[in-house]
Amino acid sequence: MDSQPELASKMAMPAVQPSIPVPIQQADGTFSHFALHFNVNMQPSDAQAPPPQPASGNNECLVREQDRLMPIANVIRIMRKILPPHAKISDDSKETIQECVSEFISFVTSEANDRCQREQRKTITAEDILWAMNKLGFDDYIEPLTVYLHRYREIDGGERGPMKAAAEPQAKSFGIDDVYRTGHRLFGPATIAGFVKDSPNAGPSRPVAGFEPYAKCKE
Amino acid sequence: MRQAKTAYSGFLSGGGIPRRHDPHLLPLARIKKIMKKSSVDVKMISREAPLVFSKACELFIEELTKRSWNMTIQGKRRTVHKEDVAHAVATTDVFDFLIDLVHPNTSHHVDLNEDLEKKQ
Repeated sequence: MDSQPELASKMAMPAVQPSIPVPIQQADGTFSHFALHFNVNMQPSDAQAPPPQPASGNNECLVREQDRLMPIANVIRIMRKILPPHAKISDDSKETIQECVSEFISFVTSEANDRCQREQRKTITAEDILWAMNKLGFDDYIEPLTVYLHRYREIDGGERGPMKAAAEPQAKSFGIDDVYRTGHRLFGPATIAGFVKDSPNAGPSRPVAGFEPYAKCKE
Repeated sequence: MRQAKTAYSGFLSGGGIPRRHDPHLLPLARIKKIMKKSSVDVKMISREAPLVFSKACELFIEELTKRSWNMTIQGKRRTVHKEDVAHAVATTDVFDFLIDLVHPNTSHHVDLNEDLEKKQ
C-alpha cells in the first residue's frame, strides 16, 4: 500500500470527501479501494457534488446546507464574471454572499407571499415576485427580468400545447396560452408598464389588441 | 422550426431557458426549496417564479459583488473580504435586510463604519 499516498497526491482530490470507497488503480494495474473520510466540518468550497448525509441522528435538527444555500460554485462563477481578472475573493466573502442570496430569496418571497394571502391566491407567480422586488426597492431589476421572462415565454409558449384545465387554474400558470385562457392578469409589457408606472423605467402603456409582446426581444 | 425544436429539447433536458438564449446559472429546484422555507404558509409556487429568481439572484450577486469590490479598491486591496461585503451592505439602502446577516454584532451603521476604518 505504499503507492497509495503517491496516487492520492497525483489524483486531483476533491475538496469534498465523501464516505464512499473509491476504486484506485494501482501501479500494477489492479484496483484497490481507498475509503475517504467524511469531514463533518468541511467548508462548501468549489466542489460540484453535494456531500452525503452524516450517519448520526442529528439530521432532523439540521437543515442541510445544500438545501438552504445556492451552490457556492455557481455563486463564485457569477462573482468572477463581474470582477476584474486580477481580483481575488476570500472564502469568507464567498460564503457571506452565498448566505445573502438565500436571504434575498426569502425576503422577496415573504413579501410576495403576503400579497398572495391578501388577495386570497394560493400560488406565488412570477408577477408577484416582480411586484415584491419593486416594492422592496429592487426596481432596477424589473426591466432585465421582464426581458428574460419574455424570452422564456417566446420559446415556451409557442412550443407547449394548451394545458389541461386544472381544478385551480392558477396552479399551472405556465404557458402563455394558459395565461390568456384563465383570464389571469396578463403578464406582458402592458402589465409591467402598469405596475411600474411610477418608476422612471416604465415604458408607454399600449392597448393589448394589435401589439407585439415580443417585438423588443427579437434579435 | 428546427431551431425552435433544438431550443425546446434544450429546455426539456436543461430544465430552463435553452443554452442558445441564456443558460441557467442557478438551480431552480434549490430556489424553490428556499422559497418554500421563507414562510410557513407558502403554498404553491408557479413554475415561472423560480425562473425569475434565478435571473434576479444573478443580478443581486452582481450588484453586491460590484459594491463589495468598490470597498476593496478603496482599501487599496485586491482581495474581496467579508468586511468589504459588510461595508457594501451598510452603505446600500436596499441591502438593509442583510445587515444582521453580514455583521450580527453591530446594530448601528455608524459603528460598523468606524470598525472598518480602524481595521484599514
